[in-house]
Amino acid sequence: MATATSPPDTPVRRAGSHRAPRSRPRARRRGALRNWLLFAVLAGPNIALLVVFTYRPLLQSFYLSTLQWNLGSPTAIPVGLANYADFFADPGTPRMLAITVVFTLATVGGGMVLGLALAVVLNRKLRFRGAARTIVVAPYVLSGVAVGLLWLFVFDPNFGVLSAVLRVVGFGSPDWYTDPGWALAMVIIVYLWKNVGYVALIYLAGLQAVPRDLLEAASLDGATPFRTFVSVVLPLLGPTTFFLSITTLLTSLQSFDIIRAMTDGGPLEGTTTMMYSIYLEGFAGGRAGYSSRSPRSCSWCSS
Amino acid sequence: MAPSELSRRGLLRLSALLGGSAALAACGGPSISESGGAAQSDIDWSGVQPASQITWWSNHPGTSIEMEKEYIRRFQEQNPGITVNLVTAGKNYDEVAQRFQAAAGTDNTPDLVGASDVWWFRYMINGQIIPLDGLAQHLQIDIADYNPIFYEDYAFDGRHWALPYARSTPLFYYNRGVWQQAGLPDRAPETWDEFERWAPALAQVVGGSPLGLGTGTSWAAWWFCNFMWGRGGAYSQEWTLTLDGQETLDAGEYVRALVHDKQFAAPSQGGDDGYVADFSAGVTACTMASTGSLRGILEQAQFEVGTGFLPKGPAGPGCPTGGTGVAIASSKTPEQQLAAGMFLKFLTEPEQTAHFSAGTGYMPVRTSAVDSPDMQAVFAETPQARTAVDQLATTRVQDWVRTFVPSGDQYLTTAIQKIVLQNEGAASAFAAAATEITTSYEQNVARYI
Repeated sequence: MATATSPPDTPVRRAGSHRAPRSRPRARRRGALRNWLLFAVLAGPNIALLVVFTYRPLLQSFYLSTLQWNLGSPTAIPVGLANYADFFADPGTPRMLAITVVFTLATVGGGMVLGLALAVVLNRKLRFRGAARTIVVAPYVLSGVAVGLLWLFVFDPNFGVLSAVLRVVGFGSPDWYTDPGWALAMVIIVYLWKNVGYVALIYLAGLQAVPRDLLEAASLDGATPFRTFVSVVLPLLGPTTFFLSITTLLTSLQSFDIIRAMTDGGPLEGTTTMMYSIYLEGFAGGRAGYSSRSPRSCSWCSS
Repeated sequence: MAPSELSRRGLLRLSALLGGSAALAACGGPSISESGGAAQSDIDWSGVQPASQITWWSNHPGTSIEMEKEYIRRFQEQNPGITVNLVTAGKNYDEVAQRFQAAAGTDNTPDLVGASDVWWFRYMINGQIIPLDGLAQHLQIDIADYNPIFYEDYAFDGRHWALPYARSTPLFYYNRGVWQQAGLPDRAPETWDEFERWAPALAQVVGGSPLGLGTGTSWAAWWFCNFMWGRGGAYSQEWTLTLDGQETLDAGEYVRALVHDKQFAAPSQGGDDGYVADFSAGVTACTMASTGSLRGILEQAQFEVGTGFLPKGPAGPGCPTGGTGVAIASSKTPEQQLAAGMFLKFLTEPEQTAHFSAGTGYMPVRTSAVDSPDMQAVFAETPQARTAVDQLATTRVQDWVRTFVPSGDQYLTTAIQKIVLQNEGAASAFAAAATEITTSYEQNVARYI
């Protein structure tokens, strides 16, 4: 709301301060009308988009979560908060929440650490630095489904590239597709590969904004490169880290495409995150009312 | 600040107004009623004229898009006043069905839609499709010529809700080269006991478990019917769950022992279709796969492929039907439904079904098509295709809780995965599935029927 209210506030105050002494009601009304119109023109489209595409679905989803409704059916029956009670009573819920937490921590935490490391490397004067930066960022712009399908071939325990490499160094392939733990590790690895370029890109911009004089001062004071990084660079990257932690957290919680393409939530529901369970219950199971409680429960859990 | 100007209070009022509008708009959706979607009663078709445009949502089973376009071309040639728009509505039956359900209540529904074994019932209880008996009578569709096993798959409450189109059953596929090296007769084992006697020799040839099992959704709970029915068990008797029945538990324990104790079978380590890839690459000696996989396996395998009936259990044979039919949407006008019915009749006529079967490996759904020159040529060229047709005599409609209860297949698949992948006992694995299925039935089926 801050962005919606602040632009018209300033002209309103300015207009008010000019016109108050005149105290002519008609002029004041006209001025106010002009302000409202200006506000409507500037903020209206944004507000309309928010209402139509954010608040309306949000409220509708809450309404649906109070129904017992088969997707596709023209009728439903109200059940109050029974869907929420069922969700928390479901013996599978704690495991699903645990999988969501593991996936989120690994993808957000792992992505930040790897992205920062890549950004530090890419910030150095390297040969082919431009090409390296392009290669690192490229997976981020690829379709998640295409990435998932490609990596399926890489991970295949019988025919995949990875298993061939592991065999060369004397290891067998893990059961990527049949062991729930390894399957979760697999989708996390692919998710990181796809998204780490975005984190690296933003961190790279942050690193390039670090004032050189501070680095030189630290160097003159005899600080080691590690000390300089920890005590000078990292604190200066604080706002970037904050921004990235919010955006990557949101992206991770909404992750769907890679899981859909690679494991379909299995095996043994081992890669069914909160977001994926909404799809499974709502679209595969057709339990639209029950699945609508998940986003709400997700909000409650995260708040 | 003057009250008539854009104040904080004014903004709050505006926000409340917008929020209220959103809340009102949000109250759209299903109407509140205890009853389900009302099925359309049969109408008098005699005065209805077919519409000029209809749409068909398909996933082109068996990569049949070019064949489906050809059938549309043939139909339009015979019926110049009707145009059929073919829409790719997903890559498999589930995606078509999910799209059809999500489109309910909008203008964007098709006239004809794929109706697979695990989806048509949900369309029906939601009132999304029409019963076809009256329309079939009006169009003089030769119902008696459909294979009764496939036609009766779509029966509920004395009416039929789809016509069979791309129908399949599981088959036993074996590597004839491995069989020869193991010194076995060139045929599939007749019983699982016989397979067990053969398994050590086969394992020696392939250097691992000879039978590959797929454990993906829409698959594991399908082949398990063979083990379960072969021991006299069932997932359910109509709506009554029998997952705790001794025969069903015995079947689960048999499969568990086959994989973990005897190691004559192993789950595929690959993705959902890994069991087919493993067999085609010679990693496993045999597998159970759909008739719809026949073309792909024959193209991929570098060895002679044999096919046979699924092995019998102590109580006899057990083979489930599968695949998809085509249904007509209830939200369309009678004119559109009539045109859709005309196309559906044409699509499943012996000439088309024989051509489709020859090109994809799916079963011919009309009995007269089996003896057609097209099919005879197919059988002469690919004798493996004949196996599924011969096996039809022992094939039966699936248990209701797998096909009719939302997510029923998913819950059963998880139970079978626990048995096959984690060596969990059948009793606890099936007990967990029974709880989930019961909840789903009570919430999503019981009040609609």
